[in-house]
Amino acid sequence: MTVENMSAPRPAPGAKRPGRRRDRQRFWQELGMIGPAVVLMAVFLIAPFLLSFWTAMTNQPLVPRPTPVRFVGLLNFQRIFSDPLFWTSLWNVTRFTIWVIPVQCGLAFLTALLLHQKLPMRNLLRGMFFLPAITSMVVVCVIWGTLFQYPSGPLNQIVGFLSGGTIQPIDWLGDPNWAMFSIVLLSAWQAYGFQMIIYLAGLQGIPDELYDAARIDGAGPLRRFWHVTMPGLRPTHVFVLVITTIQAFKLYTQVAILTQGGPRESTETVVHYMVRSGFAEQKLGYASAVSVILFVIVLVIALLQRQLLRRFDV
Amino acid sequence: MRISMGNRLLSVLSASTALILMAGSADAKTVVTMMHQGDPGWVKAYGDVAKRFEEANPDVDIELIYAPHDAYNEKFSAAVMSKQLPDIMELDAPFLANYVWSGYLQPIKPLVDKDLLDDMTESNIAQGTYPIDKDLYAIGLTDSSVVLYGNKKYLEAIGARIPKGVDDAWTREEFEGYLDKLSKLDGVKWPIDTFRGYGIKTEWITYAYGPLLESAGCDLIDRKTWVAGGTLDSETCVKAMTMMQDWVKKGWVVPTSSGTNQFYAEGQPAALAMGGHWFYAEASAAMKDNIVVMPLPKIGEKGVSPNGTWIWGISATAKNPEIAGKFVSFLLKDKEYRDYAKSQSAFPGLKSFAADSPLYAEGGPLAVAFEQASKTAVARPPHPAYPTLTSAFMQAVDKIFNGSDAQEALTTAAQKIDEDIEDNAGYPPFDEQQ
Repeated sequence: MTVENMSAPRPAPGAKRPGRRRDRQRFWQELGMIGPAVVLMAVFLIAPFLLSFWTAMTNQPLVPRPTPVRFVGLLNFQRIFSDPLFWTSLWNVTRFTIWVIPVQCGLAFLTALLLHQKLPMRNLLRGMFFLPAITSMVVVCVIWGTLFQYPSGPLNQIVGFLSGGTIQPIDWLGDPNWAMFSIVLLSAWQAYGFQMIIYLAGLQGIPDELYDAARIDGAGPLRRFWHVTMPGLRPTHVFVLVITTIQAFKLYTQVAILTQGGPRESTETVVHYMVRSGFAEQKLGYASAVSVILFVIVLVIALLQRQLLRRFDV
Repeated sequence: MRISMGNRLLSVLSASTALILMAGSADAKTVVTMMHQGDPGWVKAYGDVAKRFEEANPDVDIELIYAPHDAYNEKFSAAVMSKQLPDIMELDAPFLANYVWSGYLQPIKPLVDKDLLDDMTESNIAQGTYPIDKDLYAIGLTDSSVVLYGNKKYLEAIGARIPKGVDDAWTREEFEGYLDKLSKLDGVKWPIDTFRGYGIKTEWITYAYGPLLESAGCDLIDRKTWVAGGTLDSETCVKAMTMMQDWVKKGWVVPTSSGTNQFYAEGQPAALAMGGHWFYAEASAAMKDNIVVMPLPKIGEKGVSPNGTWIWGISATAKNPEIAGKFVSFLLKDKEYRDYAKSQSAFPGLKSFAADSPLYAEGGPLAVAFEQASKTAVARPPHPAYPTLTSAFMQAVDKIFNGSDAQEALTTAAQKIDEDIEDNAGYPPFDEQQ
């Protein structure tokens, strides 16, 4: 430290230290680089978000109307919280999340493990398993809508065949007890490819040396899995959990196409509820209030999961 | 070879220059936009009419904008928000009050041919009229109704009485008795299809099931005070909805996920079908003369049937309202469009079209539907709160059909409607109308 100081030219009194100048230069450079992103975020994300806070406290209709727009304070929130349908929709997305995470992440994990093996035509297989994820959800819904047909759709025929006719045809989308489960099935099938890719990356990130060392220590495949693979994937697990949860809370497309929230509100979700009140009923203020609530919920979940991340020391 | 290539290139070049020059002059063309919905056949019919109109009026360009049926109102709002309201818009009649109240439409009388105005049936005039100023804002070739289709073989097998006309429609007791008998008949999987297959978020629900409530003696909303509470959730309405819920519980009604063709599908699993007039075309094509058309049953004292359909209005912001009106007149008089409508068993809304529709004439298979229009038709509530009203009612029906308590579901719906009316300060001047 002292040696460096000695050799460095002494700055002239009054002049700014070159290090400071360099700092400032770098500040402008950095600002220049993140600037465009900040401006875009501000215009397209932050401003609309703040606006929606404001709109949430008015009776703003979707389209201009002869009646004046009024400030209504927290009336919209009060109405939302006293609407049983809102609570139903919140419960439904929670239910969906709890079901879809094990199915979707489990499926993704298993296929990733499979495709991590040295299989012939591994890359082709990886592509094939990834196909549903790049298919539009709308297309997937239309196809599954046909599979789910009652009473003689393909899925019911398979169930009937496998059970030897002992299981009666299931009204997959028309029975309040089954509808959400059916949505879980098709959602997991459509989206697991993404989580699979992340798991594959995680698996590839585990150094081979660890496996070699374990092998030398005499660990069999199972012990290698439990003591090398699983700990090595810990950050991946947490990351997958976080994104799947947030994704699940925003459930909309499948419901809008297949069940429109029914039957008997069993598939109504928060986003679908928001769209319904904003577009079908044209209450933009009310819908904005729902979106603010959804934001808070997702924020809380994200913060909780961040804590979780910290605990795992990632 | 090479020379001809060069020649071809030259001709392509000159052609494209010509195109560019033409494009310059095309700017002078008047563009009229028209937003519509419909099945592919109708979409094609509109496209063809537009082409013929453009041929007859080379200085006009008709631009068709398609929006899907079940999301039409949403798409329409999006057009309003982006200030891209089409010049001509197809609209579902019950939404007219909302659109006029919001200021989207202009009176259509001065814009369309006078002979068309004189040609309109009473119900057609009613569906296009705004109740406040009693002015006409939309016009259509067609109107609509819902009837009860029956499978002749099944009805004969249970010895059911076939009504001759609207006046001797089935009573509720007869109707439920037949449903019960049909449910025990061999070959019948479901006694009735009420077209739940159209979905749970579709205008069909309010359109077709609302009249059953009105027939029972209540309504979706009080049409004098414009309050839903006390009417939609009255005992009469609760009883009527509970009655329908019972049909579903007993397995008498074709479920939502079984599609909309169980009446005529192989084996004809559904014995009755409470269906729109448009259903006749497909059903009769498959069933030939094994089909009887009957009036809707009387649930209470009087029979009630729905009316109203998709009609044409001209927006308040239309740049060339006269040309838009000219096209609407052209469309309604177009022979091929009328022929296509006829092939779809369209319900006549113009007298000249009725005279030309043997299906609806005296003795025709759908004569009873036409009779309903003049005797039992009740329009859906012409009030600007209709978008919320219909959305709330659909929600209630879905809950009730799937086992929820009818009283609770209807009370929630009524509250939602009254809340909306309150939020809009009673939709003046509707609040003064008593």
